[in-house]
Amino acid sequence: MEQQAFLERAIEQYGKATYNFAYRLTGNDADASDLTQEAFIRVFRAWESFKPGTSFLSWIYRIVTNLHRDELRRRKGRFYQEEIPERAVAPIEEYVEAHLSEPVSKALAGLTPEQRKIVLLADVEGCSYQEIGQVVGCSVGTVRSRLHRARGQLRKLVNRYTKSSS
Amino acid sequence: MNETHPSIERIVDYLHGEVSPAEDAAIYAHFATCPECEGKRAEEVAITDALRAYARATEREMPPGLATRIRTTAVDRQPTAWQRVLLGFRPAMLVPVAAVAALAIYVGYDSWHRTAIATPIKAADYVNNHAAMAASAPFGDAAPPLTLTSDDATP
Repeated sequence: MEQQAFLERAIEQYGKATYNFAYRLTGNDADASDLTQEAFIRVFRAWESFKPGTSFLSWIYRIVTNLHRDELRRRKGRFYQEEIPERAVAPIEEYVEAHLSEPVSKALAGLTPEQRKIVLLADVEGCSYQEIGQVVGCSVGTVRSRLHRARGQLRKLVNRYTKSSS
Repeated sequence: MNETHPSIERIVDYLHGEVSPAEDAAIYAHFATCPECEGKRAEEVAITDALRAYARATEREMPPGLATRIRTTAVDRQPTAWQRVLLGFRPAMLVPVAAVAALAIYVGYDSWHRTAIATPIKAADYVNNHAAMAASAPFGDAAPPLTLTSDDATP
């Protein structure tokens, strides 16, 4: 069956990348596995809407991002605001605090979930501003300004943690 | 970018390949002559490298059994024909459908109840009035030509 073959290929080629992306967002194996599973089920159902020639990773990252945002909203039990200025408690921070002590890891944990998402997409996944815009659902200009703000914050935190550790 | 030094934002855009080719060349040439900007570039590159190192350090394989679980769940949770119909009634679909239905009901109701109201204007009255006014105007088109008589000449 063509649909199943599509799913098979998707898991084989992008399963690891999707799981790692989900893991960096959630910071724990159980949530990352659930997110990855749910994302591939959405892909399986909507496989016909995928346009050949477009980026599959952008598509599945968008699904993962939306599912993660919905999950955060559900857990908070209130309307989730993307621009919350204070540091939101996210599982990844707990993980990073417990397992990693490098300044960059700590600094990354100090970003808001939205800032972290954009930094990870731009610098780790190597997505273009346009692809990031498609994933997080905003314009290239917004991506640019959010990334600049996030990098500024990251720079500040890295310097702070570097000084405190040396 | 100001006249001489690119801003830190433009350096970040440059490192992400998000500037025009002309600007890319200009910034690249600038780094060769400006140690201050070169230092900023190196600092940004170091942050990106550290982020990638962090990503590599935390990279992991998919947990064993996850791929199988995805395959099984995807097939098990295939929506039935009836569920597919119901999927069409998601809020995203329902709102525009409801809006069109409401508009159709409004337009249908309005045209059904609207009665043809005859315009109470009697065109013939206007024509007659106009003709009468034109005739009474001494210099109008419809007035008789003005002619001098001998009576007019005598005081």
